[in-house]
Amino acid sequence: MMTAEQYEESLRRLNLVVYMFGKRVENVVDDPIIRPSMKAVAKTYELAHRPEHEDIMTATSHITGKKINRFTHIHQNTGDLVKKSKMGRLLGRETGCCFQRCVGMDALNALSIVTFDIDAEYGTEYHKRFLQYLEYVQEKDFTVDGAMTDPKGDRSLPPHKQPDPDQFIHVAEERKDGIVVRGAKAHQTGAVNSHEVIVMPTISMRAEDKDYAISFALPSDAEGITYIMGRQSCDTRKLEGGAMDQGNLLFGGHEALVVFEDVFVPWDRVFMYKEYEFSRQLVEQFAAYHRQSYACKVGVGDVIIGAAQTAAEYNGVDKASHIRDKIVEMNHLNETLYCGCIACASEGHKEPSGTYCVNILLANVHKHNVTRFPYEIARLAQDIAGGLMVTMPSERDLESPETGKWLEKYFHASPDVPTKNRMHILRLIENLTLGTAATNYLTESMHGAGSPQAQRIMITRRVNMQEKQRAAKRLCGIEDL
Amino acid sequence: MKIYKDLRIKIGLKYCGGCNPEYDRVAVAKYIEERLQGTIEFVGPEGEDIAIVLAVEGCSTACADLTAFQGMEIRIITGIEEAKGFIKEVKEREFR
Repeated sequence: MMTAEQYEESLRRLNLVVYMFGKRVENVVDDPIIRPSMKAVAKTYELAHRPEHEDIMTATSHITGKKINRFTHIHQNTGDLVKKSKMGRLLGRETGCCFQRCVGMDALNALSIVTFDIDAEYGTEYHKRFLQYLEYVQEKDFTVDGAMTDPKGDRSLPPHKQPDPDQFIHVAEERKDGIVVRGAKAHQTGAVNSHEVIVMPTISMRAEDKDYAISFALPSDAEGITYIMGRQSCDTRKLEGGAMDQGNLLFGGHEALVVFEDVFVPWDRVFMYKEYEFSRQLVEQFAAYHRQSYACKVGVGDVIIGAAQTAAEYNGVDKASHIRDKIVEMNHLNETLYCGCIACASEGHKEPSGTYCVNILLANVHKHNVTRFPYEIARLAQDIAGGLMVTMPSERDLESPETGKWLEKYFHASPDVPTKNRMHILRLIENLTLGTAATNYLTESMHGAGSPQAQRIMITRRVNMQEKQRAAKRLCGIEDL
Repeated sequence: MKIYKDLRIKIGLKYCGGCNPEYDRVAVAKYIEERLQGTIEFVGPEGEDIAIVLAVEGCSTACADLTAFQGMEIRIITGIEEAKGFIKEVKEREFR
């Protein structure tokens, strides 16, 4: 397994084509906007080496029997699925942001199921190829970007009817030694911190869309891949220096638009090729795993609850009954989220490939709660923090000989608490609820791993309504059972 | 030259993963080590000649994977009170 330091060095060896603010980023690892997100991924490597976390952070490879980072593991039982949820909470709390590595794990697990099932239907060799690729990823301890979301163009049209065929990634050319692909993937979390990218179709495909029903893996610096960094609210505070105004001083996340402009993929890295009838299964199972992965928001919720309680104490209002009640409500919501991610893992099942998959209904219910509860937790945190969180002058004003004395005088609250500490905790709440981290704690909670409507569709598909009706009719004497 | 044999009891230290611990597990392990200084030696769970495996669990779920230690003497602690009990047990064992 790589250490955090080895991970950082491995990224320096990549030749990524990254753009931000209209310019090529020459040194991705040390860029002050990107670096906090790299540090968050590095935490997944660091904790795997710490005795007090290895029970969650590591696993035994079912291919080689070697100890591996859990982020490269294929779930072998429901215990593995439960540990995955716990790992999400742990890392969410350690980083206070998105640590970006779950999506690759979810892609690997979904492909371990679907490649097996395609082979069973068609006698193809996808599963063998996949296992060779998996062993490579486990051996190298790579971070993998699982890329699903296409730009999608006109949402009312299927891929093959789009005026611009590149709105969904598709086969541009078939060669003897592989395929050439073209298109893009949007919202790619952690893309420039990844060694590899796994591409999957974004929706169910029909026969007419078969050129779009493809899945493959590429090195993240393959020729023809370009990354265009997304902005986050308050992102340029990271350029200001200082040790307060960016809120979370250690970690962050990032997203990027990833463009594939005629990229060559050798056959041994192709895991689905025009078997369009399996695209729905791949989407649903990847989505289910990834909806479970929103266990991370429970860990970030731990941070925001801790910050709200601290702000209440610093403001001298922690004994007020309404503040206590709000903290209870925040914990209630956060632990309800935890219930969902543990339940879908505990109720997992074995697929024909041997991989354990989460309970898909419960994973969707969990993620659906995630689209709502963090917003309420954030609202309560802002309520407790008070308006100063958004009207407070900068760290430089606190340090200025002209203005610092006034900030010290007028922002001092609890006699035992330095003004600076009060400002620090308010900046953290600002960061989580409307700064860079709100990208991940709020909007990613809404749309990441599928928007709320996607979960409602899956809940409708997965609920056994007939059994519910039968139970109701039996109790009131209706006899058409 | 005399060669002194290390007579300290080897304790295999195994933590749970620490997803949501109710106390500082590492600090409690250090507390045990300090109070049993000269009596015990903490070794990794893969260490040799382990007399007792000490599972330091962050909560009462106690989910640390202990399957590798089947047949060995195992003590589980889920907080400071049980840590004190473990210290007492080791001291009594040493006295005997």
